[in-house]
Amino acid sequence: MISIKQVSQVFAVGKGERHVALSDVSLDLGDGEFISILGPSGCGKSTLLYIVGGFVRQSSGTVEIDGRPVAGPGPDRGPVFQEFALYPWKTVLGNVSYGLRQQGVARPAAEARARELLSMVGLSGYEDFYAKQLSGGMKQRVAIARTLAYDPAVLLMDEPFGALDAHTRNRLQNDLLRIWERDRKSVLFVTHSVEEAVYLSDRVVVLTKSPGRIKEIIEIDLPRPRIRSELLLNPKYQQYVIDIEAMIDTQPEPEAAS
Amino acid sequence: MRPLLRAPGMSALLVCAALLAVWEIAARLYGNPGLPTAFAALCELPRIFADPQAAFDILDSLRRMVIGFALALVVAAPIGLLMGRSPVAEALMNPLLMVVYPIPKAALMPLIMLWLGVGDASKILVVFLGVSLPLLYHSYQGARAVEEKMLWSAAAMGMNGAQRMFRIVLPAALPEILTGCRTGIVMGLITMITSEMISRQTGAGNILFNAMDMAQYETVYAMIIVIGALGILLDVCFEAVRARLTKWADKDADTTVAAL
Repeated sequence: MISIKQVSQVFAVGKGERHVALSDVSLDLGDGEFISILGPSGCGKSTLLYIVGGFVRQSSGTVEIDGRPVAGPGPDRGPVFQEFALYPWKTVLGNVSYGLRQQGVARPAAEARARELLSMVGLSGYEDFYAKQLSGGMKQRVAIARTLAYDPAVLLMDEPFGALDAHTRNRLQNDLLRIWERDRKSVLFVTHSVEEAVYLSDRVVVLTKSPGRIKEIIEIDLPRPRIRSELLLNPKYQQYVIDIEAMIDTQPEPEAAS
Repeated sequence: MRPLLRAPGMSALLVCAALLAVWEIAARLYGNPGLPTAFAALCELPRIFADPQAAFDILDSLRRMVIGFALALVVAAPIGLLMGRSPVAEALMNPLLMVVYPIPKAALMPLIMLWLGVGDASKILVVFLGVSLPLLYHSYQGARAVEEKMLWSAAAMGMNGAQRMFRIVLPAALPEILTGCRTGIVMGLITMITSEMISRQTGAGNILFNAMDMAQYETVYAMIIVIGALGILLDVCFEAVRARLTKWADKDADTTVAAL
């Protein structure tokens, strides 16, 4: 379980000026729970994810995993970024097996596991491709498989489908849910799409814009496994989307140059 | 005409032929012993290649250049990569780089000869300095441009700082490092010849400038052709290696798979 306790993040901007990105955020992520963090751009939602990942050091507060404070990145928390961040000099298979190789797994075993994961994300047959030969959706599938390969307890997903077109985005959401139903990892999922957050999550955390504070946490009480066509007709789903959109709409527009 | 031009190397060959033709005409019109005809210079080439001393000189030049280049690769590229990733290294090295970059390395040659004598060591050092700077600069830029998220992904896999440097920063910056190498080869050739001009013992530059002193202008021009050809040859070989090493990075080299 991940426990975020009173985390704040302050950046120095220019001479003596300080930008408060996150202010006093506390949140518990239970085992197997899927939480989305939602908020306008510039609310520090990605920063919160980076702090949990250990990539960015918080100004104050603590993040604990099963009672141990986070001191840096580790294979128990697997990130998936909007930018994919694949290693372009490695093939698809090389990317996906890299984490296991890094942990000392022999090549045949690591590659066998990588092939399994590639088949799970629908990319069998693309093992020898390079990143530049893949479309955006395929790259993100590879990135998800690469992170799943070393079996982190928690997935940290930073607007993973934000750079994809609507159709591809829907397909990846469906596939992510299908994978999640299988092994029920804890997921912290940052997004700016209300529908995406409601569709995927057990709980949706709405942040306010600078400084990012928790405005509200909404339990999404919808049946699982979730089927998009059914949900769209479900009045409860519609109400969640309407309510959360209203929550975000009451905030001032983000500055043009933010 | 067009398909002919597209044949590999054809346009380069045509340009060379045109250059030689212009040279030939100019030499005939001008009629100065300082500008022999292209034909006369080309006739010198077989003589140079047949002369064992000349062949030895050219190989000796290449040997020094290769040593200087290899040293630069081992020293400058790692420093550049470190500068790109460590703010401390960047703050320390950047001012030094700014001061050293515009100094012509050959201008240091007389000083270097004072310290190291007129032999191989001075010449190799000058080549090393000439190659180091473009290599350092490009390695620095390459390392700086490495996507942060790529390093984070590697850290999450459990790679420590040194492992990330070797396994992520180095390959990610490789295309840029190799661009630096390409500039470095040209700089290496220039400093190689200049060092031999200043301290004449052996080498291609030695042949060239001795011929100059003895007013053997055909040999001078023939040597310039040889050095130019050497540059082209080295560049073509290096391009082949570079293309192989960074096949994964070249854009438009392969078609993208349709959206999935």
